[in-house]
Amino acid sequence: MSATSSLRHSQTARPSSPHTPQQQLRSGNTSFASTTSPGSSFRNEDDAIIFEIGTRWLRAGFEGNGTPICVKRFGPEESRRVADYRGWIRGEAGAGPLLKPMNAEDWVREYELWQSDLRKADLGLIEDKIERVFRETYNQYLLTDAGTSRLVLTLPALMPHPLLSSLLSTLFSRWRFPSITLLSSATMSAAAGGLRSALVVDLGWAETTATGIYEYREVVTKRSTRSMKSLMQEMGRFLSGLASGSTQEDTSDEDISVGFTYCEEIVSRFAWCSPEAGESEAQSETERDISIPSPKNPEHEYTELPFSRLADPVEKVLFALGTAENELDDEEKSIPLLVYNTLLSLPPDARGTCMARIVFVGGGSRIPGLRQRVLNDVQKLIDRHGWSPIRGQALERQRQRMEELKISSQKRTQTPEANGDNTPSNDDSKPDPSKEEPELDFVEQKLRRQNKDTPIPVQGILREVESLGAWAGASLVTSLKIRGMVEIEREKFLQHGLAGATRDLEQPIPDRRSGLRAGDRSSWTLAGWA
Amino acid sequence: MSRPFPYTYVSCPCANTPVPDPAKKRRSRDSPQKPTPERTDPDDKDNKKQPENTPEEEVDEEEEEQTFDPRSPRSNFSLYPPEQLLYCEDCHQIKCPRCITEEIVSWYCPNCLFETPSSMVKGDANRCGRNCFNCPVCTSPLSVSTIENVAGKGNGQGPWVLSCAYCLWTTLDIGIKFDKPTNIRNQLQKMTDSTSAPTFDTRSRQGSRAFSDLKSPLSNLASFDEPVSTPTGSGEQVKENETDSPPLGVEARFAALKNFYRNQISETSTSPNDPLGSDLGFSSPGALNRLMSLYASSSRLGGLYGGNKKQKSKPPVMREAINASEGLRIAPENADAAIIERLSSPDCGWDGVASLSQRAEQSPDVRFVDDLLPLPVLLRTKRAKRCKSCKHILVKPETKPQSTRFRIRLIALSYIPLPSLRPLALPTSSLIPAPAPDLNALPPLRPVHVLLTLKNHMFDPVRITLATPSVTPGRVASKVTILSPQFDIGPNSDVWDEALQGASAPVTTDPRAGGLRAAEKVPEAGKVWDKGRNWTTVVLEVIPGTLPGSEADAGKEGIDEDEIAVAAQQDEDVLEIPVFVHMEWDAEAQLEQQNVGKASKPDDLVARELAYWMVLGVGRITAAL
Repeated sequence: MSATSSLRHSQTARPSSPHTPQQQLRSGNTSFASTTSPGSSFRNEDDAIIFEIGTRWLRAGFEGNGTPICVKRFGPEESRRVADYRGWIRGEAGAGPLLKPMNAEDWVREYELWQSDLRKADLGLIEDKIERVFRETYNQYLLTDAGTSRLVLTLPALMPHPLLSSLLSTLFSRWRFPSITLLSSATMSAAAGGLRSALVVDLGWAETTATGIYEYREVVTKRSTRSMKSLMQEMGRFLSGLASGSTQEDTSDEDISVGFTYCEEIVSRFAWCSPEAGESEAQSETERDISIPSPKNPEHEYTELPFSRLADPVEKVLFALGTAENELDDEEKSIPLLVYNTLLSLPPDARGTCMARIVFVGGGSRIPGLRQRVLNDVQKLIDRHGWSPIRGQALERQRQRMEELKISSQKRTQTPEANGDNTPSNDDSKPDPSKEEPELDFVEQKLRRQNKDTPIPVQGILREVESLGAWAGASLVTSLKIRGMVEIEREKFLQHGLAGATRDLEQPIPDRRSGLRAGDRSSWTLAGWA
Repeated sequence: MSRPFPYTYVSCPCANTPVPDPAKKRRSRDSPQKPTPERTDPDDKDNKKQPENTPEEEVDEEEEEQTFDPRSPRSNFSLYPPEQLLYCEDCHQIKCPRCITEEIVSWYCPNCLFETPSSMVKGDANRCGRNCFNCPVCTSPLSVSTIENVAGKGNGQGPWVLSCAYCLWTTLDIGIKFDKPTNIRNQLQKMTDSTSAPTFDTRSRQGSRAFSDLKSPLSNLASFDEPVSTPTGSGEQVKENETDSPPLGVEARFAALKNFYRNQISETSTSPNDPLGSDLGFSSPGALNRLMSLYASSSRLGGLYGGNKKQKSKPPVMREAINASEGLRIAPENADAAIIERLSSPDCGWDGVASLSQRAEQSPDVRFVDDLLPLPVLLRTKRAKRCKSCKHILVKPETKPQSTRFRIRLIALSYIPLPSLRPLALPTSSLIPAPAPDLNALPPLRPVHVLLTLKNHMFDPVRITLATPSVTPGRVASKVTILSPQFDIGPNSDVWDEALQGASAPVTTDPRAGGLRAAEKVPEAGKVWDKGRNWTTVVLEVIPGTLPGSEADAGKEGIDEDEIAVAAQQDEDVLEIPVFVHMEWDAEAQLEQQNVGKASKPDDLVARELAYWMVLGVGRITAAL
C-alpha cells in the first residue's frame, strides 16, 4: 500500500508538544458546555459507544467499561437471509468435514469481514455486512438508540481508504451519529497497559504487526503475514491430513477438507507452543495423548493424538521453523524476527524503553507459551547479534581481527545507550546486561539527584507488560474525555467524504480549554489514516 | 433455504440505493433517499425536502434495468419474508429494517418479564439484575435451588446454588454458593467482580479480600496527591508490589488504570485560568524550553520536572503506571507453563476447555470450563420504528413487556399483495389426479406448473404486472414463463358484500373455467387461473435446469457426486425465481387515509404505483433425471 510511508511520516511529524492531549474532566464540563449548542451538550452526557472492528471480530461497548458488552465473530451465519434459520437447525456451518476440499484462501473468505486486498472485494457487500452487524449489535447488546451518542472506532492503523470510506459513509448515512472518532488500536493497547511507550505486537488475523510506540506516537510499524489466518490454514491442513490418514509432513499446498469452525475450535482450545525453542527432550506432559473430536466425524467420534503435535503448526507458521532466515521474504519474517527488527529500527532511546514494554495483543496472544517463546527467541537474537543489522562472514572476520587487537574492547564497545547494549560477540564474559548496573553519565546522575522521589523507568531489558487490549484502551481514553486527533463531524463528512480531510500536517492540536469546539474547527484531519 | 418450500421473499427497494459516497458527489448533503422510481404523485412531500436528488434517481433507474439476482451475496441482505416488512404511508414505500430508525420504548428481561427502568439498564450492564441467569455451558436458564434439592433431600433451607436443568451444571462446579435465594446477581458480583484473573487451582473464591484491596485505592484516590509516594529509588520496586497483591481482575485493573490516568491528568494539566497554556505550540518559549530540556535528557519519563520549583513555567509531564495498584501488570514468568500443563493433563480434555461460543460472553481471560461464570440474562427491548427518510412513525408497541399489542403498526402486507405459491398437480391421465410434485426433489428438464396467488389487502382494486427473466440467473438455468403476467386483483371489500352478491361462485374472468372441475382445468397462456374477491391466481410454468456435474448436464458422462454435493451445499440446486412486481392502484387522497374504502368522489383519487422484486422459492432440483 503506498499510503504506508506517508502514514508513518504523518504520525511522527505531528507537531504536538510532549504533552498529553488536553483533557476535559467531568468537573470542568459545565463551563465548557455553555459555549456549545444545547443539543450537543446534551449529547456530551451520553456515554460514547466504542467499537473495535477487525477482520474477524467486532467488540462493542460503552466508554468507561473495562470489558466490551459484546464480542461478535464474523461468519457465514451472519450473511444469511432474514428468517433463514439453517444455522440453528443443522448446526453451525463448518463444524463437520467439507464435502469437497477447498482452497485455503476460499476456505477463510466467508469468515472475514473484509480483506485488505480490495481488487476483488465487493464494497457494497461489505457495507451491507457492516450495516447489519452494527444494527444487530445495537439492538441485541448495546440496547441503546443507535446514532444518538458519539461513536468511537478503534481501527488498525493501516486501513485502505476505500474501506475506511465505506465504513464511515455507511455509518453516517444509516444513523445520525454526531461524530465519529477514530483511534489507532496499537496506541490504545499501549494505553490500556498503563504505558506511554511500548512495542505492541498484534498477532491479528490477516497479519501480525509490531508497532513501536513512543510517547503515544506510532514511531515504526513492521508487519508480517505470519498471522492467525495462516495458522488456521496450517492447522486446517494438518487436520485434513489427519482425516485422510496421510502422515506426510509437507502439506503446504494441499486443500483443506475440514470445517472452518471445527478447526477454529481446535486452534482456540489446544494450539500451544513450547516456551523454549527446540525443546526436544521429552517432557512427560507434552508426550501425552489427548483426544480431540475426529476430523472425519467431529460430532460423534474422538481421535487421539500426541499433544506435542498440536504445537507443530504454531511453530511452523509463527516461528518459521524449518525455514532459514535468509529464505524469508520481507513480509513473512517470523514473529521473533519481526519483533527484533522493529526494535532495531527504533532509535536507541526509544528501543531501550520499548523493549522493556512489550505488549502482546490480538488473537494469537492467547496461545499458551507463545509470548514467552517470542521473548526468549528475541533474547537469543539480541545475544547473538546485538543491535546491529550487519550479518555475514565479513563481520565474523572483523570480529576476530578486533579480538586480536584487543584494545580494551570492553570499554570501547560500550555504547552510550542507556541500556548498555553491546556490539555483538565480545561480551562472553559479561553478565546479563539486565542485571548489570547501567553506567550513568553525569547529566543522568544530576537528574537523579534532583528527582529522588520519582521512579526510574525500567529500560533495556526484555519485559512483557500485559494490556487490557485495544478496546479497553479506547474506552479508557474516551472516558477521560481526551479528544482524538481524528474526530470526524457528521456534516463535514457528508459534504466531502474522506476527500474533505485536510492533508495539512501542521494542524494545531485540538484544544478543549480554549473554548473551541470541534464544530469550530474549520478542517479535520485523518492523521495517521490519511 | 431453510424455509420449507414453497416460500416467497420480497426484496426491499432500498437495496438499489447505494450508500452515497460523499466524496463522489459533493453536492448532495442529505442522507440517502429511497428511490422512488416511477413516482407520479403530485403531492409528494419528499420532493420538497430533496430538490437535488435527481442525479440519484438517474443512477437508480439504470440499476432498475438490471435483473435482480437472488444468488448474489448482497441479495441476502435485502430479501425479507413479506410479513417482516413495513410500509411508510408518507413515502409510499416498503420499509425494511435497513430503512427505518429505531427508538427504544422499554427494556425488559425476557426471562422474568420485569421491566427495567432506563436509568438502571446501563448499570446492570444490559443484563437482568434479579435472579435470571443462563447456564454458561449450554445457555439454558438456570434455576435457584438449595444444595439439598440437588442432592435429593430437600428441606428448603441452607445454601443456595444455581443449577441448570439441561446439562446439570451447578454453581457448585465452580465453588459458588449463595446465602440467600434472592438478589443472586449482587451476591455473585461481590464474589467474582474483582477476583483475581482466572486462576487454575483456586476453588475458594476469596475475591472479597482482593476487592477491598482494590477499593481502597479507589476511595483514596480523591486525596491521592502523591501516587509516587511508594518507597522507591530503584527500578526494582515494580516487582515488590507484584508479589504481595494478587493480580487484579480485568474490571479492577481497568478501574485502577482509569484512576491513575485521571490523577496524572489533573496533576499535569496547567491551571485552567491560563487559556494559552497549551495552545501556543512551538511559538511559545515555554513549550520550546520544555522540548529542549526533554531532548537534553536521555530519560524520557515524567517526574523529571515533577517537583522542580525553579522553573515554574514547566508543567509536569505525565508518567506511566509503575505498579500494580496503578494498573500495571507485568506478565509473570512461565505463567503459560501451568496452562500448557493443564491443557495436556488427562483430567482436562476437550470438554474441560471452554469453547469459542462459551467464551464469547465471558471475561476475556477465561480459558477453562471451570472459569465460566453464570450469565445474567441479557435484556431485550421494545422498540418503536420510524421511517428513516420522513420520520413518520411506523411501529409503536405498548410499553409493558407482557403486552404483545401495538399502538401503531404499519406492516407492508396491508399494502402489498401477499404472494403465496403452491404446486399445481396436472391431470396426467384421465381419472387419477396426479400427486403434487415433490418440491424437495424436482426432476430437471421436466416442466412444473406453479400457482402464484396474490392476495390484496387494500380497499382499492390493484392492477398487477409481473415480469421475470425467462432464464433464472445462476449456474442452474431454469426457464420460467408467467402465463398471464397482467391481471387485476379485486379490493379487500367487506366479506359480506361478496356473500350478499348472490350465491354465484367466485368471480372468474374465464366463464368456461367456472363450469369445469378444477382438476380438469388446463393452464393457458394469457388466462388467469383463478380469481376471488381480493385474490388472483396465475400459473407459472417452470422448466428446472440441470445441475452442473449431473447426469443431465450436457456433455458429461456419469455423475460427479462431489460437484453435486458442493452445489447442494451452496444452494445452487434451489430453484428461485426473481419476479418483478409492478402494482398500480387509485388511492384516495392522503387526507382521507382513515376512511379508505368508503365511497368518495372520483376526483379525490390519486394514481399510485409501487414496484419491487420478489423471489419465489419453488423447490430443490435433483441431479437425477
